[in-house]
Amino acid sequence: MFDKAKARVEARQEARRVPPALDAEVAAAQAHERDKGLTKHSFEPHEHPCVRIEHLMKTFDGETQVLTDVNLTVWPGEVVCVLGPSGSGKSTMLRCINLLETPTAGHILIEDNEITGHLGTREVNKLRQNLGMVFQSFNLFPHLSAKGNVMIGQTKVLKKSKAEAEAEALKQLEAVGLLDRADFKPAQLSGGQQQRVAIARAVAMHPDVLLFDEPTSALDPELVRGVLDVMRDLAENGGMTMIVVTHEMGFAREVADRVVFMEGGVVVEQGKPEDVFDHPQHARTAEFLGSIK
Amino acid sequence: MDARSRSVACTIVLALAFVCALPVQAWGLTTNKATAKPNEDGGSEVIGGLPTRLTWEGTVEEGEKVSSIHLEIPADGSFAESTTKVTALEGLSRAPVESEVSADKNTLTVSFGEPIGEGLLIRLEIYNMTLPSTGGDVVVSGTYQNQDGEQKLKDSDPPIKTIANTPLQSMVNWLDNQEWVKQWNANQFLGMFLKPQLILTSLSSLFPGWLLCLGIVIASYPFAILLGLVFALMKISRHRLVRAIAIIYINTLRGTPLFLQIYIMFFGLPMMNINIDNNVLGIIVMAINSSAYLAEIFRAGIESIPQGQYEAAASLGMGHLQTMVNIILPQTIRRVIPTVTSDFIMAFKDTSLLSSVGVMELMMFSKNLTSVTGNMTPYVTAAIFYLIVTLPLIKVVSTIEKRIAKSERGGGPRPKAKAKKAEVAVVDGQAVGAEPSLVEALSAPFKAGTSVMGGTASVR
Ligand SMILES: Nc1ncnc2c1ncn2[C@@H]1O[C@H](COP(=O)(O)OP(=O)(O)OP(=O)(O)O)[C@@H](O)[C@H]1O
Ligand SMILES: [Mg+2]
Repeated sequence: MFDKAKARVEARQEARRVPPALDAEVAAAQAHERDKGLTKHSFEPHEHPCVRIEHLMKTFDGETQVLTDVNLTVWPGEVVCVLGPSGSGKSTMLRCINLLETPTAGHILIEDNEITGHLGTREVNKLRQNLGMVFQSFNLFPHLSAKGNVMIGQTKVLKKSKAEAEAEALKQLEAVGLLDRADFKPAQLSGGQQQRVAIARAVAMHPDVLLFDEPTSALDPELVRGVLDVMRDLAENGGMTMIVVTHEMGFAREVADRVVFMEGGVVVEQGKPEDVFDHPQHARTAEFLGSIK
Repeated sequence: MDARSRSVACTIVLALAFVCALPVQAWGLTTNKATAKPNEDGGSEVIGGLPTRLTWEGTVEEGEKVSSIHLEIPADGSFAESTTKVTALEGLSRAPVESEVSADKNTLTVSFGEPIGEGLLIRLEIYNMTLPSTGGDVVVSGTYQNQDGEQKLKDSDPPIKTIANTPLQSMVNWLDNQEWVKQWNANQFLGMFLKPQLILTSLSSLFPGWLLCLGIVIASYPFAILLGLVFALMKISRHRLVRAIAIIYINTLRGTPLFLQIYIMFFGLPMMNINIDNNVLGIIVMAINSSAYLAEIFRAGIESIPQGQYEAAASLGMGHLQTMVNIILPQTIRRVIPTVTSDFIMAFKDTSLLSSVGVMELMMFSKNLTSVTGNMTPYVTAAIFYLIVTLPLIKVVSTIEKRIAKSERGGGPRPKAKAKKAEVAVVDGQAVGAEPSLVEALSAPFKAGTSVMGGTASVR
């Protein structure tokens, strides 16, 4: 117990040692310079990144260091696929972005607002409204129908009226091809259908960024397709900013603007999909991609 | 009430009459007593309209010779079918009597061959007569003949208390005369535990006790649920002191017998000059006791909700309270309904312990009736009364358990290997019959709750 507290204090001191995030304009310009060759994203002039992760470090229980030093910028409308072996910290990084995990050190900025370190619960809730998340295990609310699942965030958090929320819910369910299942309980849906409802639930909040943590890993192969199609549609027609942790190489190659390879708590390599897949710069990336194929 | 006031009025009128006629009234034949034997299966009561035995006794005073006695009971009583045994006692020995008895509706006349002399006690045992079926106090009055002619008999005092003959009593009466009932009762076991007549009378006389049991448990349960929820939330609180209070409350109540708690409350409060109505105090004790068990059930229920539910709610931007109210508690309630119902059954049965402190509930009534009749049937009837409530609830529990096991599928992570079969079940459009092992796996959190209850049951 004492050790834990000590570790926390040390981590906080460590965080202060890292230089604070730069002025938004300067940082955006630097990030642009760094990223322009790494992504298929078409930059607009004076564009600022949506998500900015700088020197992110995460330690569990004061000992297991999961994220060592993660740096990543994500631009509005960009689709970033995160690859990496199991245990490399992909989920942890994703969960740090919407503060399901508290970063130990470093900075995360959403729309140039720093979220690390000083937020109260109300600000955290506000932040999470703007960051949708889709989980590997769906995590639908089993006591609510598909429609109810999509509505509840709108009515309780966004304080929309029932009618408004219902209209939006039906629109989103239609978008994922499940209009006819609106009144089904999660238990009456297949895994693929459940995951599509979960995507509709996240999209209905109209977040700035959607986070996907291996959305198809718990699915049978024949159900993966439908979910990926929905995600592709969101990326290509919805213009949604997405960070997708996935093992679906085909999806990453076709849909991603940028592919990020993580290992051992750091971003080892990132770049345009064809660059990373066809000409990996690092041996570990090549090895990983080889093992997947 | 009516009968009594009438008899009081009568007495006053008579007294006045005698005071006017004879300055000093001495009874030549003193009425010692008039009693009636409780009818068969009537418990301790004398039931009007049913055959009973009336015993009348009078003593012949000094210098008197009694040649006949004429007894009269209220109009709808009847001596019509009766047989009378006449005894004259001199001290402890029987004196020979010759007598002739004539009965006519509500009057009975006994004429003696030889007048009965002074000092003798005359006893009339009138079998198979009936008292008025309306019930109430019955006074036996009448006249007698002595050497000087007809004299008034003193009214029997105290009067015979009778209860009205209800439809139930006539059914019992009918049963009494059935051949199969007689054969049934001839069997030692059946006659002792399942005597049909006693089942009937018990059903009616235990009913108020059953209602009180239900009343106590139904009145106490909402409070128990509220208290239980409060202590459950306290037990998972972030503050150590709050947690400690909840733990002490829950463990003390779960770790001591309800019997002891009842004694402490029922005997302790009056000693502090706090006097609460027995039934209300019963409700309070039951509510406090159940709340401890419910707190554990609710806590286990809340903790059985997968972490993913909290995370999904959080990712939508819900606050802690919103998550609890909209996501966690609705699921918890579904999950704990079976265990809570089990606890309700337990609490309902536990009201029986209140009989030890004089609450007039089911056990109290059946204990009394059993000790009066010397038959076990009232206890068996009490068992029937308990089962009327508990059996349907037990059924409800198992039905809900099955339904929950089904509907909880897909709430959290699904075992990957099984997903395919579930998908097939849905595609087939069947009522999601799924694999038993899948159902089991997914209701595991719920099952954990059950095992907590198992512990609860054994503590009780
Ligand atoms: N709450 C926790 N407490 C302690 N260690 C944790 C916790 N969560 C994750 N870890 C550890 O952090 C490491 C990285 O976990 P993470 O889930 O981020 O990996 P991942 O890259 O998502 O792997 P996968 O592809 O298997 O999902 C793992 O070694 C894991 O054991
Ligand atoms: Mg992961």
